[in-house]
Amino acid sequence: MNSALRFLIPLILLTPVSSGCSESPDSDSSQPASAETTGRLFGASFQTMNNPFFVDLGAGLKNELEANGDRLVILDAQFNSLKQKNDLSDLILQGVAGIFVNPVNWEGLKGSLLEASRKKVPVIIVDAPVKKADEELIVCTVASDNVRAGELAAQALAKVNPQARLVILHLSVNKACIDRVAGFKTELEKHPEMKILDVQEAQGTTEGARPVMRDLIGRYPDLNSVFAINDPNALGVISALDSANKLDQVTIVTVDGSQAGIKAIQAGKLHSTSAQFPREIGQIAAEKMLAHLRGEPVDKDVKVRVELITAENAEQYLESN
Amino acid sequence: MKVVRQMIPLLAAIIILLLLFRIWVPTFLTPENMLDLTQQISVNTILALGMTLVILIGGIDLSVGAIVALVGTTTVYCLSAISGDTQNVFYLLLSILAGLGAAAVFGTFHGIAASKTAMPPFIITLASMLIARGCALRFNNGLPIPIGDQQTILLAVGNGRLFGVVPVPVVIMLTLFVLMALLLHRTRFGQHVYALGGNREAALYTGIPVIRVEVMVYLICSVLAGVAGMIHTSQLYSAEPGSGEMFELTAIAAVVVGGTSFTGGRGTIFGTLIGAVIIGILDKGLNQAGIHYSLQYIVKGAVILMAVYLDVRRNR
Repeated sequence: MNSALRFLIPLILLTPVSSGCSESPDSDSSQPASAETTGRLFGASFQTMNNPFFVDLGAGLKNELEANGDRLVILDAQFNSLKQKNDLSDLILQGVAGIFVNPVNWEGLKGSLLEASRKKVPVIIVDAPVKKADEELIVCTVASDNVRAGELAAQALAKVNPQARLVILHLSVNKACIDRVAGFKTELEKHPEMKILDVQEAQGTTEGARPVMRDLIGRYPDLNSVFAINDPNALGVISALDSANKLDQVTIVTVDGSQAGIKAIQAGKLHSTSAQFPREIGQIAAEKMLAHLRGEPVDKDVKVRVELITAENAEQYLESN
Repeated sequence: MKVVRQMIPLLAAIIILLLLFRIWVPTFLTPENMLDLTQQISVNTILALGMTLVILIGGIDLSVGAIVALVGTTTVYCLSAISGDTQNVFYLLLSILAGLGAAAVFGTFHGIAASKTAMPPFIITLASMLIARGCALRFNNGLPIPIGDQQTILLAVGNGRLFGVVPVPVVIMLTLFVLMALLLHRTRFGQHVYALGGNREAALYTGIPVIRVEVMVYLICSVLAGVAGMIHTSQLYSAEPGSGEMFELTAIAAVVVGGTSFTGGRGTIFGTLIGAVIIGILDKGLNQAGIHYSLQYIVKGAVILMAVYLDVRRNR
């Protein structure tokens, strides 16, 4: 009886999965996909799905591919680079027509890229840089123009606070954040009146920014502006300033464009955020993949627009996204 | 033979799963896909082999994931520090020894702390998980350390193929499987492990060197985690200080799905291998069937729960 039960268990468990799966058209992945121009299967692997940014990016990819009659499977690497490697080899061996990757560890992607290129599966990297040595293994990278995002933040700050005494909250291990700060500093050179008092590490999180900001308030009495590298960081800064009763004396600019960030702008706590467009990143990545499969040349380094959001256009932005 | 008969339900589950996924994924049973499966499960299987011993004596080791990261970073750091841009077999062995040595230090500590103090192994290894993770993050500011292209031997550990067919990690996994099976089922040490898990007091009074056995068990578990870490690092072409998180839980899942009792004293190495294969098939099959990632978690959780429930019922 018991061993009979054991036989049945996987069957019972997987039945709902089977019906869920049959919604999509049957995959004929045994046939070479490259010959077709529609009905193909694509795969995506993101470092995490526990972030609205990647959920939106995935939606952008999916919409564009499905509009072309293709399908997309999105896999969640859970910040685990071994899982990402296994997920990618599952996709490659299944014969997907193309793969979109946001790497957990960009040093660790090489094995997967080699495997993909052996099987002639094109790969596009989204929202991340790639090592010089790996460039020839991929079609292109598609990411936000982070340098521009930093410039926009500096311009916004210069407009309202030309005498700014500012601090930067950095996440210096992250290439996107390095670019944001570089763009910010370049723009700042045009405004010699503005001075950077300090650059501190704050982990890119709300929890990380709070204690760092508290220390900075104490150390620099003339501090009147902050550039935080993303929205969660800026929210931590707001919380620290609020508890020190200094929120109205300090202008905060940041990069991201998350719902929470824009709500903070509308509440008058945050001055600006340079919004990224994850859906557009997804859409453009999908377009580039389709173009590549049609045999058209594709730029290696594709930058996606960023836009400055302040109190003036916050509502409009929330509505359109 | 008795062992094999006990495993019939699990083997049947494997066959059913393979056939089910074959229905949804036409290419599922191709030799290439199956070979890839064995390669994908190698790291988890090696971790689970060591975990089986620990669970058999009624313990637990939560630190193996962090050990994977620590061994990788230690090895690659030493390697790039002493051998620079050239490949030197002696330096490579030295670096691997340094990595495995770090694992051995942790394993010995676990064994001594678990056997000589009243601290529960759950807490001991939880603490050392944090310590090992912290040590791994000390290297290179917590950023991944790339393995140089010239280190062909180290890169072959995770990416090479024996005779151009069998992936090297699979060879390592099967060798360790045979060794561990012999150790547990064919030696006096193996009998002591079962005795210790069955009844610790009784084991002590029959004159079994309880402390020595316990230290050996934790040492083997950590060193196997070190070997898994070496493969993991090689497969990623870099040592990643943050990697290996939650690996301990997947390994524990493989052990219990394979029929090892969580309270100790009952279980087999063969069962663990089967458990790891089942989890591997689920991972691959659900991915290739295009199941949404949220549903994958639910199915995997349900399968583990079911397997363990049936096992508990059968042995009531």
